[in-house]
Amino acid sequence: MEWLIWLIPLLPFVGFLLNVFVIRHERPAGLVASGLVAASFVVAVTAIAMLAGLPEEERRIISVGWEWINAGDLRVPFGIMLDPLSAVMVLLVTGVGALIHFYSIGYMHGDARVVRYFAYLNLFVTMMLFLVMGNNMLILFLGWEGVGLCSFLLIGHWFERKSAAAAAVKAFVVNRIGDAAFILAMLAIYANFGTLNFYEVTVAGEVQPGFLERVPEIIGQSFGPSWQPIALATGISFLLLIGATGKSAQFPLFVWLPDAMAGPTPVSALIHAATMVTGGVYMMTRTEALFAASPATQTWVLWVGALTALIAGTAAIAQWDIKRVLAYSTVSQLGFMVAACGMGAYVAAIFHLLTHGIFKALLFLGSGSVIHGTHDTQDMRKMGGLRTAMPTTYWTYLVGAGALAGIVPLAGFWSKDEILAHALSHNHWPQLIILFLTSLLTAFYMGRQVALVFFGTQRDTHYHAHESGRVMTVPLIVLAVGAVIGGAINLPWGHWLTDWLHPVLHEEAGSFNPVLALIATAGAVGMSYLGWWLYTSNAAKVKVGGKDPAYRYTGDIWDGLEEAWYVDRLYERVIVQPFRGLGDFLARVFDPQGIDGLVLGIGRFFGWAGAQVRELQSGYVRTYALVFTAGVVLVLSFMLIFTR
Amino acid sequence: MESFPILSLVLWLPTLGALALLAVPRDNAELARRIALMVAVLTLLASLALPLGYAPAAAASDGSLALQFVERVPWLPMLGASYSLGIDGVSLWLVMLTTFLLPIVILSTWDSVHKEVRNFQILMLLLATAMIGVFVAMDLLLFYIFWEFTLIPMTLLIGIWGGSNRVFAARKFFLYTFSGSVLMLLAIIGLYVLNREALAAAQPGYPGTLDISAIAANLRSGVFRLDPAMERLLFGAFFLAFAIKVPLWPFHTWLPDAHVEAPTAGSVILAGVLLKLGSYGMIRFNLTLFPEAARWAAPAIAVLAVIGIIYGAIVAFAQTDMKKLVAYSSVSHMGFIVLGIFALNRAGVSGAILQSINHGLSTGALFLIVGVLYERRHTRELAAYGGIWKVMPVYGGITLLVALSSAGLPGLNGFVGEYTIMQGAFLAPELGWPFLGFAVFGVVLAAVYLLRLYQTVFMGELDNPENQGLQDLNRRELVTLAALCVPIVALGLYPAFALGPMQASVADVVNGLANTVAGRIDLLP
Repeated sequence: MEWLIWLIPLLPFVGFLLNVFVIRHERPAGLVASGLVAASFVVAVTAIAMLAGLPEEERRIISVGWEWINAGDLRVPFGIMLDPLSAVMVLLVTGVGALIHFYSIGYMHGDARVVRYFAYLNLFVTMMLFLVMGNNMLILFLGWEGVGLCSFLLIGHWFERKSAAAAAVKAFVVNRIGDAAFILAMLAIYANFGTLNFYEVTVAGEVQPGFLERVPEIIGQSFGPSWQPIALATGISFLLLIGATGKSAQFPLFVWLPDAMAGPTPVSALIHAATMVTGGVYMMTRTEALFAASPATQTWVLWVGALTALIAGTAAIAQWDIKRVLAYSTVSQLGFMVAACGMGAYVAAIFHLLTHGIFKALLFLGSGSVIHGTHDTQDMRKMGGLRTAMPTTYWTYLVGAGALAGIVPLAGFWSKDEILAHALSHNHWPQLIILFLTSLLTAFYMGRQVALVFFGTQRDTHYHAHESGRVMTVPLIVLAVGAVIGGAINLPWGHWLTDWLHPVLHEEAGSFNPVLALIATAGAVGMSYLGWWLYTSNAAKVKVGGKDPAYRYTGDIWDGLEEAWYVDRLYERVIVQPFRGLGDFLARVFDPQGIDGLVLGIGRFFGWAGAQVRELQSGYVRTYALVFTAGVVLVLSFMLIFTR
Repeated sequence: MESFPILSLVLWLPTLGALALLAVPRDNAELARRIALMVAVLTLLASLALPLGYAPAAAASDGSLALQFVERVPWLPMLGASYSLGIDGVSLWLVMLTTFLLPIVILSTWDSVHKEVRNFQILMLLLATAMIGVFVAMDLLLFYIFWEFTLIPMTLLIGIWGGSNRVFAARKFFLYTFSGSVLMLLAIIGLYVLNREALAAAQPGYPGTLDISAIAANLRSGVFRLDPAMERLLFGAFFLAFAIKVPLWPFHTWLPDAHVEAPTAGSVILAGVLLKLGSYGMIRFNLTLFPEAARWAAPAIAVLAVIGIIYGAIVAFAQTDMKKLVAYSSVSHMGFIVLGIFALNRAGVSGAILQSINHGLSTGALFLIVGVLYERRHTRELAAYGGIWKVMPVYGGITLLVALSSAGLPGLNGFVGEYTIMQGAFLAPELGWPFLGFAVFGVVLAAVYLLRLYQTVFMGELDNPENQGLQDLNRRELVTLAALCVPIVALGLYPAFALGPMQASVADVVNGLANTVAGRIDLLP
């Protein structure tokens, strides 16, 4: 059983190695890459079936491969585990991952570097699996940065485009800021618990403790200056929160995700919607004990999530790029999940993570199908009326949009409702209102998008739109089915997911609030219809390269929304440019003239002093005698003073 | 020890090769290269016996160092100097790093050295002996001789085979590092005299010793005591020499000049091994012999190290010359190593040793990588490049791997070293989290400047017509770079392989710190 769980991440890794070192042609590359991820999915299903066969409290399989770091005080095993929480993540990663691999065979057909593309994709799945299966923080971090690397590689897949290259670097660097905080959190965890393992584990016959089981030990401890002590749990969990804002694209570090859309669309679906960006939510859920120990951090988490949801939701309504709408929507939905974590509703967060993973992957793949069928058009102003040309894409997209908007009984409705219901029952009123408003915005911008893309008439007629091939539409259909029935895993009456996660999260199922559900549904339906109606009835006013019809009424505010409240520009002015200035100053002025100037100055001084001393060699005996006498006096007085 | 003198073999093989090269006609470049390569490979093979035969051993009870492969032949008995060699867990992997880099560097000269090839190889082999000598010499005089001798071949390599401003750079390199070591010589003499006086009081006729292990034992057992002021003075004299060599901020300004002017092979050795002489010296002398002073100075040194981490990274970011960028990145990375050493605990010191190896591999590889482009285009300006990945895919892939290793991506070697160092510094009672709060910016900035390098050179449009005909790596370049990638990945996934054997010695150093300090505190009024 233990070796079986190693197969889950290793199968995609074999695919990576094959695609890097052996395979040189498109067809085998795609088949091997997809086949191995699918195989990984099958193994995962088998392993999880066996896991489910165990008694509830024993459902955790840990396997340590070798001792990774053994540096005296610091010891970290290289180990992975499968428990109920990891299990659902593994299913999402390998299941959706396999579908997206298959889809990529069609989407990337004819690309110049397609073999490399599949290699990166396989490596991504491997790293994502390490992220969700690691049995300690450092393995989680290995996956965490590994997926960041793959994200960099895949965003930059078409690196000839300057924008893609810049977006790739930006994504990695912004993530690194969060990662630095993550590292500090790990250092603090190790310093206080003496371990980075989540749970107790036996390494080479020696029992190492797990820190999640020991969190109560640090409650009440604090650090920092005496005039402002900070609770230890708050410090650690806050650092983890910063880490999560990087990876899960939360305010204030969300700016990399919209740019990341420069990558191929299946990548956006897999990495920047379904899996990688949910890493932060997974991590906070895994270390839930630390967050629970700090009400202060929890408040921050809640506000970060809620504000991110709102900011990104408002930005999404003003985008023209079909993928940027979805990107901001992803940021917004991640805000929902983070807010759920902040409320302590971790099951709801994971539930929304899973359903969102399915329907957002569906939407991205649908948009990819649109882009593919319209010959690389991404500007929605150039689309319109694609309903007839691309029926399968249209219908599946409609399902995905409905699920995202929260239309009953699609998957998104149930998971979003669970978050709102929890906010209501625990009296988080401000956040409830913000999240509710955001869900109205969500419905609106999806209605707008569907109207702009699929309804009306085609505004740019330079291309001939066509439906995508079966290798792309079949994954769409499978995901659409998932988006319809996905909510069933945690219906208010069955709450299967809550029970499954109970050994990890110890949560009880929340109550279903029919009034809230009714209001939310009415709002979703109404706003979707409004968005759709506004942009079908005003379709004539949408011009290629023109302004949005709403611009007439909102003016510059609309531009502000389109730029996501100018956060990016703020960073450019406040951080990036001053940093460049500082770098230039240090490199061109301070280092050569300040530090090195001093060094060279000392060198020149000795050169000068040498020249002076040379002149002392005058040859006059009386001069020598004088200097000699002075020297003797100096030495004698020194000895008299200091050797008493 | 009555066994085969394996250390002497590893130490003198390159010199023998250099002597053999004297017999080669000056203009027969190919033959000179082949002989040098053969010698380097033989040295590497001989040195493999070291880790294979190395048995991690606990410290001896009398406080002397737990050395292995010891060879000791009296040399100048009236001074107590001997030809004394030995390695422990601190020096084992540094010797291996040197013998591993040597064939790689020599292989790279096929593409990068085109004049006076024979003499170049002779100097390179002599330099190898000197560097290995520094790591294995267990006698202060012998150590000092090797230490100073590394300067001569390196200065000549820069001054003869360097770039346009080579004479200035060579002279700066020589004078700067030499002035640091003069103080060290004074300290060595002082240490010798004080030790002899201290022991002669109890044992009349004691001739004195220059044996490092014996002096360490005397200090630890308490028969040789230094008063705190003198200890700090000696500590400072040694430290200055090492800090310049490392180089620790603000003693770093010789490094960019030396790197920019040095030939590729010289840069690889300079960054790969020569800088490590400094970090090795800090552990071997400053920590082992002067524990109280080390503890006293640790916070101040750590501040300099952290400044170096951030300063080096920011300055690296602003460079337009690739080699200068990599040179300043060394300042940043070596700052981490010094931080780890002066964490004064096992995690910190082990991390520092491991990171010394990692930095040698990654930065050595980065200099080779810059050399590859320089040989093709004769410029190192970032602005001259862009979109190279398209025409040089293998080269691009390897560069990315090496850059990420340097930037500390988990799964590759750099991360393990950096994390271990940071954990050590975090746990150190003298340092703690405020230091890390700053040092961790080095991790962010490393990604910034390395990915900026990568983005400008490899990504974007291939718009410069001169770059469109670039050839991907030839077989020789591929072998040299791939050989470096193997340990980069291996040490990332299984660092325990290297960390394991060094633990006993590191524990010895750290225990020495703890015990001596405890004893000293009792003695103070």
